[in-house]
Amino acid sequence: MAFEKIRDPSEKTLAVLLLAPAFLLIALIVVYPIGKLIYNSFFDLRLSGGSGAFAFVGLQNYKDAWVDRDFWNAASNTILITLITVPGALVVGLGLAMLANLPFKHKWPVRLALLLPWALPLSFAGLIFAWFFHTEYGFVNDVMRRLWLQSEPTMWLLRPNWAFTAICATIIWKTSSFMALILLAGLQMIPKSLYEAAEVDGASKWQQFWQITIPMLMPSIVVALIFRTITALQTFDIPYTMTKGGPGNATETLAMLIHKTTIEYLDMGYGSTLAVCMFLLSMVVTSFYLRRIGRTA
Amino acid sequence: MSAGMDQGWWSSPRLRFVAAAMVVVNGFFPAVWILLTSLKTEIELVQKPITYWPHNPTLQNYVQAFTDQPLLKYLGNSLAVALIATAASLFVSALAGYAIARLNLKHRQLILTAIVASSMFPLVTLLVPIFETMRALNLLNTYTALVLPYIVLNLPVCTLVLVSFFQSIPKDLENAAMIDGCTRLGALWRVVIPLAAPGVFTAGILAFVNSWDEFLLALSLNSSASMRTLPVGITLYQGEFSFPWPIISAALIVAIVPIAVLIAIFQERVVGGLTQGGLKG
Repeated sequence: MAFEKIRDPSEKTLAVLLLAPAFLLIALIVVYPIGKLIYNSFFDLRLSGGSGAFAFVGLQNYKDAWVDRDFWNAASNTILITLITVPGALVVGLGLAMLANLPFKHKWPVRLALLLPWALPLSFAGLIFAWFFHTEYGFVNDVMRRLWLQSEPTMWLLRPNWAFTAICATIIWKTSSFMALILLAGLQMIPKSLYEAAEVDGASKWQQFWQITIPMLMPSIVVALIFRTITALQTFDIPYTMTKGGPGNATETLAMLIHKTTIEYLDMGYGSTLAVCMFLLSMVVTSFYLRRIGRTA
Repeated sequence: MSAGMDQGWWSSPRLRFVAAAMVVVNGFFPAVWILLTSLKTEIELVQKPITYWPHNPTLQNYVQAFTDQPLLKYLGNSLAVALIATAASLFVSALAGYAIARLNLKHRQLILTAIVASSMFPLVTLLVPIFETMRALNLLNTYTALVLPYIVLNLPVCTLVLVSFFQSIPKDLENAAMIDGCTRLGALWRVVIPLAAPGVFTAGILAFVNSWDEFLLALSLNSSASMRTLPVGITLYQGEFSFPWPIISAALIVAIVPIAVLIAIFQERVVGGLTQGGLKG
């Protein structure tokens, strides 16, 4: 009897059994770390050198962060990267999606061309574009020289503003294909009859774009924007492989500062404080977007 | 297929070709440029103006890519971590997905939201506690250290894809199997999973690409040379002052080929899965 029960458990037992692995892992990798993170942020946890003290310091870490120039620099870099690359990837992605939506005889080259940048690890994209933007032997400077756009080669990765520009361009290239794939699926769901009716009414292609395509695409755009914003706030791999945050800390993001503070300097207490701040920042964005979805739904 | 674009000047084949060429060049050019660089000699590389097509193509860079760094080891580590993580992600999310799709759960939507929301937390903020946990469990520099977080990373997208596939399978088939003496889990294993194979496959590819690409945790948790994955290992060809670009390019090509072949073969599945539960930037 008991054996039968194990072999064919009740609905409720079964549900608990089936969901247990997923939620145990989420507890281990997400929930417990969030708790530990907040707890750590109130302590002095320098694991190498320093005082070596593991002392409760209250809000001291947060006060330190408030006046920490590196923190504000990294925070503003992160926000700036998000504000530039998310709309940038949306515009480029929409362009790619519209081009890819034309009736081609062979669809696979276009589809693969959208999938390849998506599947490429971010760190690879960073390396490839670092080579593109190389001052002496880079492709970008060579094209600009041929077009007479510059008399001197631009020191892309060695000047703060140029490095920032190069990183944003790389991120937009890497992420716009994901946008395009999501938007392409949205485009293909717009009924053809809408355009035919607009055509009959004498609407121009431009009017059709703004009055049919964009409104019909809105759900896909919102979804794509949410995921892109969440990942943009976590930007790490591309600046890490292109500039290591340099020159100076001109391209250092919050994720890089947290990584440096904790994994390299082993300052776990202050690093946790920075992580809590980043956590709050991303929660603000997430909740803002979730409310938007609630309204449109 | 394409709405409202089959008339007027943009229907001309030439313009369509230009449109396709723009998308294709945008997607492939960086990889092609790296391929060309990987075939150049060190001498040709530092010529000015730079050459586009390699004059004396050489495979020497590929040899050096394998000897300067243990590229084969990195490749093996990446493959092992990604395959184990994919299998484990599929197992965990198939169980959860089945429960969400089929059982009478009171808080079905809440459970699904909780699983999806778990991926919204920035990974880097969880880095320190995960690092500490793995160190406490003595798991730093093991495959397990990466596989466990990767399962959670893959859980939302895999669960979303699998739930929608499970829901598309008629419940009668399962009931019939149970009348024939199958237990519920038996029916899941013998009827539902085989029928959901395309979904399992799609979720699997997405999980594989996610795991293959991950950088931050791989960099932080597995820092010893013998446990590095490809994305991390490939950044190590550069010395303090030297960037051996032809060798880095060769290593990049070696690293890109497996994933490019995978998505080329299964592109339709990948696109389908992405639009169903795409969660990767």
